[in-house]
Amino acid sequence: MKFRHLFLLSSLGLALSGCVSSRPAKSAWTPTGDAVTDGKTAIAGGPARDKVWWQYRTALAAMRRGETTEAKSLLDDALLTVGSISSGDKEARKSRGYFQEESRKAFRGEPYERAMANYYRGILYWMDGEPDNARACFRNAQFQDGDVENKQYAGDFVLLDYLDGLVTTKLAGDGSDALKRAQSTFKGGALQPYDSKANVLFFVEFGKGPTKYATGGDGEELRFRTVPSAVHSARLMVGEQIILLAPYDDLNFQATTRGGRVMDHVLANKAVFKSATDAVGTAALVSGIVVAQNRNTREVGLGLVAAGLLGKIISSATTPAADTRCWETLPQYLSFAAAVLPAGQHLATVEFLDSMGMIIPRLTKTVTLNVAPEPRDTVVFVSDHSQTSKPL
Amino acid sequence: MKTILSNKMKLISSSVVAALLAGCASTGVQNPSGVPVTEMKGDERGFVAGTGVESQDLVTVADKMARSILKTPEIAGAQGIPRIVLQPVQNETRFPINKGIFLTKIRAELNTKAAGKVRFLARDQMAALERERDLKRSGQVTSSSDPQVVELKGADFFLTGKLQGLSTRTSKGTSDYVLYTFQLVDARTSDIIWEDQAEIKKQGLEDAAYR
Repeated sequence: MKFRHLFLLSSLGLALSGCVSSRPAKSAWTPTGDAVTDGKTAIAGGPARDKVWWQYRTALAAMRRGETTEAKSLLDDALLTVGSISSGDKEARKSRGYFQEESRKAFRGEPYERAMANYYRGILYWMDGEPDNARACFRNAQFQDGDVENKQYAGDFVLLDYLDGLVTTKLAGDGSDALKRAQSTFKGGALQPYDSKANVLFFVEFGKGPTKYATGGDGEELRFRTVPSAVHSARLMVGEQIILLAPYDDLNFQATTRGGRVMDHVLANKAVFKSATDAVGTAALVSGIVVAQNRNTREVGLGLVAAGLLGKIISSATTPAADTRCWETLPQYLSFAAAVLPAGQHLATVEFLDSMGMIIPRLTKTVTLNVAPEPRDTVVFVSDHSQTSKPL
Repeated sequence: MKTILSNKMKLISSSVVAALLAGCASTGVQNPSGVPVTEMKGDERGFVAGTGVESQDLVTVADKMARSILKTPEIAGAQGIPRIVLQPVQNETRFPINKGIFLTKIRAELNTKAAGKVRFLARDQMAALERERDLKRSGQVTSSSDPQVVELKGADFFLTGKLQGLSTRTSKGTSDYVLYTFQLVDARTSDIIWEDQAEIKKQGLEDAAYR
């Protein structure tokens, strides 16, 4: 009988070790320190489940370097995945299983991350002279933000509604409804009225956005870590104009107001299963050892010991940990300004200001603008992490 | 008693092993060898699907519009051959689209199904056409007709369209309704001589892992 139990345990051990070895091996690559190069290497050779995760981050790194063609192609591919309905996705189904981690599923991001991917793609469409496709992206971004538990915070990006209305106004439509929506969610005073003649659009972002971590007994609860940004606002100087760039949106707020996910219930169930099997395993193990002391009940005792060990093994194989893959390079604040400038070359300076309104000199960006002749808009993207001096 | 307990233990152990192995069975890579290329028709719904604008929508809508245009009295009973210029489609949905593709498809459908009944003007080639005409006028290249005579045709009609959407998301899923409307506008009078619509609604629910 002992041998039978031993055999059973060995088989289980083999079965579980089989699980581990059957996972796809992580491809080995040495990071170069260049975010775009490393990102592209990871996309090409890394696990398929992390592809969108890398695409998001690499696209943003490319945008901050002024490499818009690269960013477009990465975001287009990522949004194709995110835009498809995941129903029937086998990996997603497996990630809900007791013995598979949530991070096994293909990364798509939380609503604020999906919204930001659409927001960036919208900026790129506008740069290419396709404002209606830009508006589609802004609308889709707002729609992604609707996937929250607390509907009070659904679709509450101020800037997305504001831009929706601005595009509509510029396309000779009525953007007043979108402006009203934006105004109703904006806490920073009165929004700038639309100027359909504004031909230079500045998308400015600053600060460090939210990151994710797992908490709870088994790391089953997803939480967001927010660190107050050193940068609180920005100031744009172009020609004779000085424009204060206050935040329209705060991604820390967007991330932390999502509320619970359906997946949180799945992970909570996994955690309960893990602790229950562990408790049952412990009880069976202890009682089995006690029962096995008696010669007459030794066989039953050994059986209980075996069952206890099995319970322990099952418990340790259960993986309730939340997926903490995160688009950690996102900014905290999004801002925007529209200006009227004559066609031709202009020098623009963006200064980033702290909570006291003092300039943080190391972050100041100076960009040369080539303002396009009408009717095309010139779109400028500036981040406090921008690393480009190319004319935009 | 011993036998009963022993049998129970076997049953428990077997169940546990089965559960564990079932868990293991799902490990690994999905489609490790990939999925072979599957050729599909443009109007077929593929295995990769979302609730947005897809190829089957384009084919269905363009086919319906092309047939509808040909039935318009101003086209079917026109004295000469009506000249049409394509104007960009306006996208008001939440889905970025290649805006030219709908009109390109409708134009191709019309040219295929009704060769000679309507003719499209290549306004997207105007820069090249004007350059060529100027070369002819300056005598730098040969010309089979008098280059001073204006031969570039003007439009009789403009064909344009609009995509508008209505999106809903609840705990039951995502629903997207897209209304496609196309118009033929008389270039002389601004009369809308033809308009037709198509509507497509799609719904889906994400896997719980993404909700």
